[in-house]
Amino acid sequence: MHSRLLIGLLMLLFGLPFGLLGLLALAQGWHFPQALPPAYSLAALRTLGAADSELLAGLGRSLLLAGTVALLATAGGFGVARAVARSRWSRQWEAASYLPYALPPVLLATLVQPFIIRLQLSGSGGGVVLGLLLVALPFATLLLRSFWSVQAREYEQLARTLGCSARQAFGRVLLPLAWPLLRTTLFQTFLLAWFDFGLTNVLSVGKVRTLTVQVFSYVGEANTALAAVASLLLVLPPALLLGLNRTALWRRPG
Amino acid sequence: MLEVSALAKSFGSQSVLRDVSLTLPAGEVLAVLGRSGGGKTTLLKIIAGLEAPDAGTLHLAGHDLRPLPPNQRQLVYLYQEPLLFPHLTVFENIAFGLRIRKVANGKITQQVNQLLDELDLREHAQKAPHQLSGGQRQRVSFGRALIIRPRLLLLDEPFGNLDAQTRADMQQLFLRVRQQHQMTAIFVTHDSREALTVGSRFAYLEQGQLTTFASKADFVRDARTNIQQEVRFWESISRTEN
Repeated sequence: MHSRLLIGLLMLLFGLPFGLLGLLALAQGWHFPQALPPAYSLAALRTLGAADSELLAGLGRSLLLAGTVALLATAGGFGVARAVARSRWSRQWEAASYLPYALPPVLLATLVQPFIIRLQLSGSGGGVVLGLLLVALPFATLLLRSFWSVQAREYEQLARTLGCSARQAFGRVLLPLAWPLLRTTLFQTFLLAWFDFGLTNVLSVGKVRTLTVQVFSYVGEANTALAAVASLLLVLPPALLLGLNRTALWRRPG
Repeated sequence: MLEVSALAKSFGSQSVLRDVSLTLPAGEVLAVLGRSGGGKTTLLKIIAGLEAPDAGTLHLAGHDLRPLPPNQRQLVYLYQEPLLFPHLTVFENIAFGLRIRKVANGKITQQVNQLLDELDLREHAQKAPHQLSGGQRQRVSFGRALIIRPRLLLLDEPFGNLDAQTRADMQQLFLRVRQQHQMTAIFVTHDSREALTVGSRFAYLEQGQLTTFASKADFVRDARTNIQQEVRFWESISRTEN
């Protein structure tokens, strides 16, 4: 009974922003102290259907950037975590993985910006991906470090004596064993890149207009309806991912 | 069949194996007794190709093993933990080595079913590893190794984590399977009773130095194996009871 009540409350808490954003997206002339909008309009939502919809382009850009960062960070983090685990200085490397979190993302972006400019990636998606990877890769490494235990090594060695080449042992044994953790890392690094504002805005010098950047921009322009539509688009993919990933997130202990 | 000569291995400044030599004819089981940290695991890993020796030679059926990677040696190394693949069923765990070798499906089904019957695991074929008991898991681990017909089985305290009764059952199963498959094996254990049960040849490994014994009697007589002391203990218990 208690757990049902708790789940109900959590669902309400989780659903509340969606309801509020929906109202803001449809509302016309909604001012304090009115409890509900006096009139509704689909005008803001219709912008999504326009051929040159900046919001849909932003959604595509965000998906591409966050997806690329998630894939690169997870794949790279898996390899780096293995190297860290097998290094003589594994503790020191692990401590170094925390360094990017010692700085706020905006400050980190300011520090790396000269390098991004020299690489001629300033204001491009590539520069933003590179900047986001500086944060996402150590994060993925720290998450995936726990997989490379003594037992993972024993599984790998056993597979080798059973006839696997190094590549087969990786593909047939290690990857399936690591898959639950890899899936969680993909999800987490995607969210990290998806919701980033400061680093993206600084490194792209305002040229790579992701959804998060657009939300801030519409809020700055006091365009509540478009800000709400952009925000709805911003929270939908993570909600979908959360739904898809729920078996991994809430799996029962074996 | 297996000839190991003057094998040596160090990790940094610590010498783990020193001048280890042994000969093991086909169909025999060498029980290697020794305490933890004596170099038993390193010896098995070098034979399996999972560690490289600093010095010495290894020959199996006259062929030098050293240039061969572990997957080409046809030697299976079994750990204390069964290490079943959690993403595969019991059937697929046993079939693993055959799938790697791209054996035809029909043959795989026939061979795996035969082994499942032999190991009394048929009814568990479609179960996941976590649904099995400790003894059942170790039997699946055996089946997974046996199906590829290894030239040599390397067992690193395989029953160390089992309770006394299951351990005794597994030792009997090992003897039966050994006879049926005419297995050649090196069985590492720290339990002298287990060594005497499963071995047909005996050795003692301490601080990286291996002593092989010409007979079971010599092995029993050697004070380092502690067997005489244990016999005296049980005799004293028996006298007290009477």
